[in-house]
Amino acid sequence: MKYYVNVNGTEHEVVLTERLGVLTVEVDGEVLDTDYHEVDQLGQAHLLSGGKSYAVSVEGDDTRVAVTIAGHVYDIEIEDERERAAHAAAREAAKHGGLIKAVMPGVVVELLVAVGDSVEAGQPLLILEAMKMQNEIEATAPAVVEKLHVAAGEAVAAGAPLVTLKAPE
Amino acid sequence: MSAKPLFDRILIANRGEIALRVIRTARELGMETVAVYSDFDRNAVHTRMAHVAVPLCGNLPSESYLVADKILAAAKATGAQAIHPGYGFLSENANFARAVEAAGLAWIGPPASAIEVMGDKIESRRAMQAAGVPVVPGIVDPIDDAEAAVVIAQEIGYPIAIKAAAGGGGKGIRVVREPSEMKSAFRQASGEAVSSFGDGRLYMERYLDRGRHIEVQVMFDAHGNGVHFGERECSIQRRHQKLLEECPSVVITDELRARMGEVALQAGRAVSYRGAGTVEFLYMDGEFYFLEMNTRLQVEHPITEMVTGVDLVHEQLRVAAGQELGYDQSAIRMRGHSIEVRINAEDVPAGFLPSTGTVRNLRLPGGPWVRIDSCLYRGLVVGLNYDPMLAKIIVWGPDRTVAIARMKRALEELNVGGVRTSAPAAMAVLEEPRFISGDFDTKFLESLDLSKARGGLSILAAAAAALHRRNEAQRQALAPDAASRRGWTQRHRGSLTDHIRRSQ
Repeated sequence: MKYYVNVNGTEHEVVLTERLGVLTVEVDGEVLDTDYHEVDQLGQAHLLSGGKSYAVSVEGDDTRVAVTIAGHVYDIEIEDERERAAHAAAREAAKHGGLIKAVMPGVVVELLVAVGDSVEAGQPLLILEAMKMQNEIEATAPAVVEKLHVAAGEAVAAGAPLVTLKAPE
Repeated sequence: MSAKPLFDRILIANRGEIALRVIRTARELGMETVAVYSDFDRNAVHTRMAHVAVPLCGNLPSESYLVADKILAAAKATGAQAIHPGYGFLSENANFARAVEAAGLAWIGPPASAIEVMGDKIESRRAMQAAGVPVVPGIVDPIDDAEAAVVIAQEIGYPIAIKAAAGGGGKGIRVVREPSEMKSAFRQASGEAVSSFGDGRLYMERYLDRGRHIEVQVMFDAHGNGVHFGERECSIQRRHQKLLEECPSVVITDELRARMGEVALQAGRAVSYRGAGTVEFLYMDGEFYFLEMNTRLQVEHPITEMVTGVDLVHEQLRVAAGQELGYDQSAIRMRGHSIEVRINAEDVPAGFLPSTGTVRNLRLPGGPWVRIDSCLYRGLVVGLNYDPMLAKIIVWGPDRTVAIARMKRALEELNVGGVRTSAPAAMAVLEEPRFISGDFDTKFLESLDLSKARGGLSILAAAAAALHRRNEAQRQALAPDAASRRGWTQRHRGSLTDHIRRSQ
């Protein structure tokens, strides 16, 4: 089984091969001697590799996981070959214009732009209050505001669409 | 200590690790404790660890921990003789302090009048100036609007800090570096001030860019005696939210400590202080300026306890019971070095955004000279209702080098799964040469690139992630089909309902 594993923005190819009950782990074409044991069903595991011992924990779902090793957390996105093809198409589509989503749950305090406004990269679009802190949500690139999905005073969940931007003409 | 406890029973008007912190000392002193809890906190550690637990009903702080009447009713119903407010919530609410005393209970905190003066940043600046305490250059009158602010800023000089008069905890503060930023900063600070404190008044002072945040712990009894317990270095912060604190500070000499301590005591005396308090200073190039006084126990008080060997909550209780301190400044000795790291529910690579979830994995550090003050348990649901701080790890060592190594060791042992925490940011700080050398200021943490994991074990992490996914896939393949399982439970529930209906 081949996986594309993106660790903090750097991609690695991990190939897991099981033959006659022996599991071989290959990372970026090189065989990695590993002995991976799950301690519990909650994500605590023990990894022996290269003569060293690591207490590891893995949390997340099928596609996004966080691996903790010795106090450092590695953010990982993982895809198999089928998922990779599907995601590549979606990524291409998202390049033109874009949907700004709420990265955290909060309340929209104030809208700073209106539909049709031209905005510059870094220009605040709206103020989102979360944990009693007011955060300015900024445009990621020069664009035109195509649609506002929220109104002032509205509570939004993480991942909720806020503003749709389209590329300037 | 006399055989009879200072109080028979005290109520803790708080939640989380600080409620537990107070419960622990009270238990050690033979007192009974009363916890109060919101609906959300039914399973919380503080609810379970107290002798008595009283529901406040409601989930929002404004329906529970902030409702003075409910807390006073709980104290009355349970026969508590004193109320400890912890930090946050009602701890710096002068009206609550008055109401507690009016109800014939002991208030484990400073006099209401001291809370009032120190709680208002404008008032406190005036009072401190009058008492001869050095303050940061700026104005003490509230500013009307962004236009007026631009005019005043010209006189004080940029960069400027706009602050909420009723502020605290880093809320309602904005830094302005040039006039063009004023409008947006003013709007945000004022909005935050209104939503957090219900008071939109703002004032301005010179923003001392390369300063360190150093605070002094003081304790006064009700008989006019006061001592200080040295300083805490709190410069490792982000947007005025502290992440890591240490005691003592590498830049404070014995001579400077004595001077700062004396000024801190002067500040306390000026408002007839009683109990535990913290005087915050901005330190730069050998000079220090009064920032504010926190009229409560601080989050980071344990590092002072580790270095001085004094249980500050015990002292608070003694003072509240009317006892004299019984010792003077010469009795306070600082030994070794202590560091605290706050474990907040935050996603560090995503820019410290709040992280929510249910705590699944939990592996807490232990071993020599490691103290954990925590409200964590497996199954804890971390939402947005409360402060994101879940735990504090505190270590002690004979010197700073040992303390740093010990904290790194403790953080390597820690694992909180199901929710992201600030621990990796603290780890990054502890590994930075500038932190190790002691050459840092309040901008240090924000200057670090924390968007990517450090540690250099990416390959292993990639392998672990792939292996985890393979095992998960195998488990799912072996598990009975989800649909059939649901069908079975529904059938079962159906028959149970029928049975109940029949029996009615």
